[in-house]
Amino acid sequence: MASTETRPGTNVPTMRVPAPPERTGGGTRPPAEPEPSALNASHRHRARNPRRAAALIATVCLLLTAASTWAAARVDQGAEDRLLQVQTKQVAAVLSTAILVIQQPLSTALDVQRVSGSTGEGPAFKQLMARYIGDDQFVSASLWRRTDGRLAPVASIGVAPALPRGGAAARSLVSSAFSHKTFVVRAVDIGDRQRLAFVMADPASGYVVYAERSISANRRSRVDSDSAFSDLHYALYLGPERTLKSLSTTDVALSSLPLSGRTASTTVPFGDTVLTVVTSPRRHLGASLGQRLPLILLIGGLLLTLIAVRSGYQLIRRRQDAENDTATITDLYERVDALFGEQRDLFVRLQRALLPQVNPDIPELEIASQYVAGTQGVDIGGDWYSIIGLGEDHFAFVVGDVSGRGVDSVAVMAHARFTLRAYLIDGDSPALALEKCSRQFDISVDGHITTALVGVGNARTGEITLASAGHPTPLLITAGAREFVQVPAGLPLGAGAATYRSTRFTMTPGATLLGFTDGLVERRGEDIDVGMQRLADTMTPVSASPVEEMVSHALRKLRPPTASDDIAVLAIRWDPKR
Amino acid sequence: MAEFVSTETRDDGSCTVSVTGEVDIATVDEFLDAASCCLDSGGTNVVIDLGGVTFIDSSGLGALVRIRNLARERGADVTLDRVPDAVARLLEVTGLAAAFVGDGNR
Repeated sequence: MASTETRPGTNVPTMRVPAPPERTGGGTRPPAEPEPSALNASHRHRARNPRRAAALIATVCLLLTAASTWAAARVDQGAEDRLLQVQTKQVAAVLSTAILVIQQPLSTALDVQRVSGSTGEGPAFKQLMARYIGDDQFVSASLWRRTDGRLAPVASIGVAPALPRGGAAARSLVSSAFSHKTFVVRAVDIGDRQRLAFVMADPASGYVVYAERSISANRRSRVDSDSAFSDLHYALYLGPERTLKSLSTTDVALSSLPLSGRTASTTVPFGDTVLTVVTSPRRHLGASLGQRLPLILLIGGLLLTLIAVRSGYQLIRRRQDAENDTATITDLYERVDALFGEQRDLFVRLQRALLPQVNPDIPELEIASQYVAGTQGVDIGGDWYSIIGLGEDHFAFVVGDVSGRGVDSVAVMAHARFTLRAYLIDGDSPALALEKCSRQFDISVDGHITTALVGVGNARTGEITLASAGHPTPLLITAGAREFVQVPAGLPLGAGAATYRSTRFTMTPGATLLGFTDGLVERRGEDIDVGMQRLADTMTPVSASPVEEMVSHALRKLRPPTASDDIAVLAIRWDPKR
Repeated sequence: MAEFVSTETRDDGSCTVSVTGEVDIATVDEFLDAASCCLDSGGTNVVIDLGGVTFIDSSGLGALVRIRNLARERGADVTLDRVPDAVARLLEVTGLAAAFVGDGNR
């Protein structure tokens, strides 16, 4: 009895394996070599240079710092200017009051003379003015009377006047007093000192009062801490000019005049002339925060700049590192994926090499078969099918499934497949072949159990004998019905030595026997009978189609998109009229 | 989430291995280890509680066979307890129901 089975081994060396019906998962993608480098290049291109970014941050921060410092300083300067002007006006007001105090005794004296007339004019004047003669007040005072255009002295008190009494200068000064409503004031030298001469006239009565005040030798005057001058340096000038000659009083050394830096000035009416007041601040006039704010902003801004530059630099560096890491990981992942795909592809090719490449040519039979690997994981399963021509119209077939996955499963599969084939070629019945096999497999040794459906058929009569080692029963598809052939379930191979019972039936012409592995019908959380019924229903519309289409249809409709289990399907149609 | 497998040993020499969830190629080793521990600790009656099992694949069935074989070597009994209908049906289809019937379960 010669075997007509096509030995798959002959095809293995050339690896001319037919293209898998469904290629899923990795496949033989060439390792994506150019991608990682291109990826790295693009990352490099996109990533900012941390130094340049830090410089940019520094520039922006420094500009902001400078701007805010400048603005704060401007605000402070403006406030200082305004405060200085306000305080200078206060000084002017104080001076106006002081001038009134100077003027008051002179006008009082004239009032007294106008009331009292010529009677007792001398004593009344002396009595009045005695109160105003002193170091800090007038040093000298005198009363004159003009009658018919001639001046005559009436009385005098205090020291000798700096302007000689009756001299030309004095007479000219007194004359000019008559042309002014207010008093006339002049600086008069006496030795190396100066005095201020005041003259006030009453044109109605003809009386004239003349008085002199001292100016201290160095023209300096201390400032009371609580006075309006306390925050200011000042210089008082007699007249509109700010010359040393016209200087009246100051609180600073003469050498540091005129006042420099921030100054303010105003004038106060002073008799027939004016007092010019020039001030400069002794210290910061506004709130101390206003003065310090620019410095605070400057230091704070510089610190913030430092921090921002440092953090920015580190952030960009870290980001760059992360991007580089991502590129590396992506690169590695792609390499692993490629290797994974290659390994998986190798396993699938090994599996396919063990499956029949060409079915035996038996005229009465139409045979179609497919093996589909699981989509998940690199490990392949141990599903297989086999068609064996036994000669003299007889044929045998096997659909089997080794538990577990991986190369070990495939090895057990090969063992089971070729052992069964040997017994079947020898002429053993399916039940006997399985019984002999059951003694050669032990799960405790190889770690797997194997289920198998074994059949022997007569191509001439359509008679089929089936035995099962725990394998799902095959579906018999006829024009009118789809029913599962009841095959007594024996122990799977590997579970221990066992005996098997067979079932025998005769196909009707055109009937198709569909053998399959559990991957086609099994779903998690579902009774296997539900899956079996689904298969029967699915095959209804294709019950008269060519067997190739039946197999494809079953896989297309029933194989889950993320199937982890592999599937083998074998369809045998008996058509004796062929 | 409950543990996949737990064991409970009693003084009378019985040891219960309770399995929950899916017994498949990913979990089968854990199941086998637990059952082996039961036998190693001297259990003479190993009860496998399948009450919480939602799915069992051929690797899981293989594990049941291995546990039965291991127990036989050591003269211990293996009993399947609270077998869900789907699992029972699968044991029938695969011919394994007979392998456990003799142990007096169900």
